[in-house]
Amino acid sequence: MSTLVSRAVMNLLSRQCATPCHWRPSVMTLKTSLPLRAEPTKKKKIDPKREQARKERLKKKLKKMEKVAPELIPIEDFVTPVKYSDELSVRMLPQVPFEESERRALLLKEWSRYKLSQHKAEMAAIGQALQAQREALQELKLESEELYWAALRPDPVLFPFHHQGPSYTPPKDKYQPPEGKYSDITKVYTQ
Amino acid sequence: MAAPTCKMVARPLRKFLTCVSGTCLQNNAYRRLSLATPGSNVVKSSEPGVHAVSPWKLHGAVCLQRLPVITKDLSPLEEEFNKLMHQMELERSLLSEHELRLLEDAERMSRKQEADYDSDEEDVADQDILTAQDMEDAWEQKRRQFQPAPRLNEPSDMDRSSADRCLGDSLLLLVKQRVGSEELWLLPHLQWEAGETLRQTAERALCSLPGADFKATFLGNTPCGVYKYKFPKAIRTESSVGAKIFFFKALLSSSNPSPTQREAFAWVKKSELQNYLKPEYLNQVDRFFISI
Repeated sequence: MSTLVSRAVMNLLSRQCATPCHWRPSVMTLKTSLPLRAEPTKKKKIDPKREQARKERLKKKLKKMEKVAPELIPIEDFVTPVKYSDELSVRMLPQVPFEESERRALLLKEWSRYKLSQHKAEMAAIGQALQAQREALQELKLESEELYWAALRPDPVLFPFHHQGPSYTPPKDKYQPPEGKYSDITKVYTQ
Repeated sequence: MAAPTCKMVARPLRKFLTCVSGTCLQNNAYRRLSLATPGSNVVKSSEPGVHAVSPWKLHGAVCLQRLPVITKDLSPLEEEFNKLMHQMELERSLLSEHELRLLEDAERMSRKQEADYDSDEEDVADQDILTAQDMEDAWEQKRRQFQPAPRLNEPSDMDRSSADRCLGDSLLLLVKQRVGSEELWLLPHLQWEAGETLRQTAERALCSLPGADFKATFLGNTPCGVYKYKFPKAIRTESSVGAKIFFFKALLSSSNPSPTQREAFAWVKKSELQNYLKPEYLNQVDRFFISI
């Protein structure tokens, strides 16, 4: 049935168009679409040379770039920002009167005397404590050698020793500190 | 007197033995030597500690300290000096960014109030809807919302048995113990038993306190002080003349006192120690209990 139809169509076509049309493939041939007709590109012989030449050019460029010394990373602390260069932020306060400066000098002297006495008291207390320990060890030695050597052994569990020092207010029980969030804006430089 | 003669006898004997046992095995020689010279070896082979039984009884005691939790109140001189330091720091400082912003905002406000104010002249980019003063007010409000715990707690200060009294000073734990015929306020102590170190005795003394469990960190194996006393003449014998109490320092980390045994404990400051301890005992304890 189909062959009859195709033959009829062929006769019709041959009668109507004398010149063959190249954009419309003939009915007898296989219906091939573009992907079916595709072929892998053939490598030409001159290409490896081109590839090598390209690689060498890139390598030369890299060498030139490497010869130049790398840019040093700036140290942020040593660079004064520009906004601090002008004298905008000088605090204007009245000059200290003579009596006030006298009072301050006397107070500073009083303070140094107070601190000296405090230091002497501290040193004396520490000296006394050490003397008490020395005497205790002497008494222990008189008693028993074994206990004496056991007392002199270092304690491995004690260090690292941590202690929370005194604060201004005592700790609040069942206190939830607020959660803080921060965004890190430090500049990261790569060489 | 016995020792030198023993040595004098042992030396020619040892020489004889070494000559004889030159050909024998080493072990035999040593064994013979040890048999031949009993006098010199007796002390080493017996218990390495005590040569003769000491007439002093050993006790281990614990000096449990609760370190200060808050800073002390400043004395008048310290207050004045503190104020002076703040004033001098203020005078020598520059204006901070926040203060500069405050000044700028104040200036801008004053310019706005003027009659010939032209808003187009302003740099719109610099302006913020929220001024520095507004931000300061918001921060102040937030600060007022937080209530810190009070520094001074009067009722707790009076209660001698609570460890939370006098938060600015370091406190020492005292217990009432029966010694001989009388009850005395002492640092907790126990008699030393053979086979343990004195520090272990002190730890036992702390654990065996009835009614309360204290978690403490002992500061090393060395005793910090000693108190030596002789027993009254009635009890004194040849073998027990008196007792030596060795104190070990410990720092309190946490405590859960039960309410029943409150009369037995006292947490005292250095200045209150004289009300509790006997004079001689106090002298010794004062030396190592540092509270500045």
